[in-house]
Amino acid sequence: MSTVTERSFKYLDERLGTASLARTALRKVFPDHWSFLLGEIALFSLVVLIFTGVFLTFFYTPSVQEVVYDGPYEPLRGAHVTAAYDSVMRISFEVRAGLLMRQTHHWAALVFVAAIVIHLCRVFFTGAFRRPREVNWLVGVLLLFLALGEGFTGYSLPDDLLSGIGLRIFYAVTLAIPVVGTWVTYLLFGGEFPAPDIISRLFVFHVMLLPALLLALVGVHLAILVLQKHTQFAGHGRTERNVVGKRLWPEQTFKSLSLLLFTTAVLALLGGLAQINPVWQYGPFEPFNVTSPAQPDWYIGFLDGALRLGPPWDLTLFGFTISEVFWPAVLFPGIAFGILTLWPWIERRFTKDRAEHHILDRPRDTPVRTGIGAAGLMVFFIMFLEGGNDIFGVLLNVSVETITRILQWGLVIAPIVTFLATYWICKGLSRSRLRPAQINAGVRLSRTADGGYETVSLEPASSDGEREPTPTGPPH
Amino acid sequence: MTDSDQQGSERVDVDRQTEQGPANTELTGSQRRAERRTAIALAVTVLAGIGLFVVYFSGGQTQVEGVLFAVALGGLGVALGIWANHLLDAREVVEERHELSSGAAGREAFGDALTEEVGPVLGRRSMLLKLLAGAGGALGLALLLPVLSLGPAPGDTLKVTPWRRGSRVVDEEGEPVALDQVPEDGFLTVFPEGHEGASDAQTLLIHVRPGSLKLPPEKMAGVPEGTHVAYSKICTHAGCPVGLYRAESQSLICPCHQSQFDVSDGAKPFFGPAARPLPQLPLGVDSDGILVAQGDFPEPVGPAFWDMNRGR
Repeated sequence: MSTVTERSFKYLDERLGTASLARTALRKVFPDHWSFLLGEIALFSLVVLIFTGVFLTFFYTPSVQEVVYDGPYEPLRGAHVTAAYDSVMRISFEVRAGLLMRQTHHWAALVFVAAIVIHLCRVFFTGAFRRPREVNWLVGVLLLFLALGEGFTGYSLPDDLLSGIGLRIFYAVTLAIPVVGTWVTYLLFGGEFPAPDIISRLFVFHVMLLPALLLALVGVHLAILVLQKHTQFAGHGRTERNVVGKRLWPEQTFKSLSLLLFTTAVLALLGGLAQINPVWQYGPFEPFNVTSPAQPDWYIGFLDGALRLGPPWDLTLFGFTISEVFWPAVLFPGIAFGILTLWPWIERRFTKDRAEHHILDRPRDTPVRTGIGAAGLMVFFIMFLEGGNDIFGVLLNVSVETITRILQWGLVIAPIVTFLATYWICKGLSRSRLRPAQINAGVRLSRTADGGYETVSLEPASSDGEREPTPTGPPH
Repeated sequence: MTDSDQQGSERVDVDRQTEQGPANTELTGSQRRAERRTAIALAVTVLAGIGLFVVYFSGGQTQVEGVLFAVALGGLGVALGIWANHLLDAREVVEERHELSSGAAGREAFGDALTEEVGPVLGRRSMLLKLLAGAGGALGLALLLPVLSLGPAPGDTLKVTPWRRGSRVVDEEGEPVALDQVPEDGFLTVFPEGHEGASDAQTLLIHVRPGSLKLPPEKMAGVPEGTHVAYSKICTHAGCPVGLYRAESQSLICPCHQSQFDVSDGAKPFFGPAARPLPQLPLGVDSDGILVAQGDFPEPVGPAFWDMNRGR
């Protein structure tokens, strides 16, 4: 340590007590498992999103004022476009490294939501949401919703034809909310579609309100993680009362930094090489034009698919109307995300399990939960498939009608089949002696009172950790 | 130090390490190889970084920038990864969990801290407390009022469009559309004159084959020559423009969610998620042979909403 750093370190420590704080932080232990890195990938995508997003903000104009495009992209020269669209064109064609930043931002958004969803699956299927982590589950689910909101608002900002249609569908969805739908819609959109305020409002949501909430909740999410310490899989020496793993410094720091760099590298590679959201091909938004085929970003795909699968049932009760959009796009997401949010409490109602858990379940050991999770994923997957029914129709040379009919039946049958198959596989695996998640703990030889010997397996007998031999203390 | 030693108290573990002094500085063969690979990876990052400078100052090129960024970041990532796996002395350690709960006594102490010094008014359910709650509520509601400024009251705006009796039918450039201007089996997106491009007024004018429409007489009265029929272009499902027309089956298809409407039968939906027909715009012809509207759409256009069927 050079004298300058030494002096400033001393300076800070004398005033803030940083040395012992930092020492505690450096020596914090985190369990090692690849699946614990999924949340980190989401966090690092968020880092990329913030940096690229700030760059884009310097050039983006959140306005629907009409301008004449006169940039270098020939096919659109002279076209009347909004200032928002014009600025996105400028970022893409005139700002140096602008297209790289824009595409990296978009890819990072896709990876961000994907990493959150996979991380959520890991937490769900291993039972990491159980007491005492229900609160952090709630924070995590809120983060997912905020990420979806960030994704959708950002996607709509370029004011291109494709995203304009997405916005229009979202408008129909909010209109379909019973009783208060029209009011909510008018307050949100600033009037009948396409009201001029919507782009600037989306911008405020995208760069201020949602990110502020998102970052605050990420802080809470991580603080709770540090406070409660990470969960771990069962294994030699691991109990409900300890954490076995590597320290924050140096190993976890090196590994996390390495993962941060790899995540960013992949996103930069995608941003540079894989074209995404080419708004110049879609053209500017006109309320009477439409692109075909039209697909949203992947994480909205399930909702678009749900709208395509939905039954043509509208209802009139006492003169009031419930839209056919209500069932697939308001009621279904409401129920599905409601169940997701409340899952720790729903599960507890059935298991009556109020104990603290720091040792993770293996999915096979909880076949009902695993089956329900798999069935739920299947519901979303079928909706996601239906979101591309026009593309599959062309690819497979099958009519869109046929695909829709098959997937409508699939939506009824496949989740049940998925649940039963998953349950059966879990039971089978559980009976087998395959235990990939564990290190072979070996056996302990002990002498019995009558002079004979017996062997005691050191493998934990169950995930509750109660019957495990304690790892601490000197060898016998 | 054996594995089991580490599982003792942390403090002991730390002190022992200090006594040991600096770790062994002799590198094994595999560590030397790891060191070499780390150095190469770091050098790659330096080179890619220089490359980025060159590309940026020579005008920039998205693909090359992306690849160089990825190489620079990836090189550093590889270096740190190898370092972590081969050049650190990190061992698996055990940390005890601590009880997070403050326990009943702790909670009681908190309760005491909360109530100890609040004085006699907060201690009992006084009139003052109720008033305080009331004041907070009133202020809260008043603070919410500006939210109402965010949008106009919906009123009838969703139930009417700019189409009026006598509105001339124009295309998106504002050119009036005459009878027979659209060829048979053709269609055109039209607007009321003066409202070109208006979202809720967008209408499809379709020139169908003679005798192919199966409409009740009062609807046929709005179809000049029995061949020029006009329907709202906004899908009654989720509001996308219904942009695809199949002349041979006389069906309109919404590209967003594939609702299909039978043009010959009052644009009733026959497949897909839409539940209501596209409203028909009654047309006529003025003395110049230009198509005109006989009035607004008889029903609200576009997606359904709560009070769409009330008090129009």
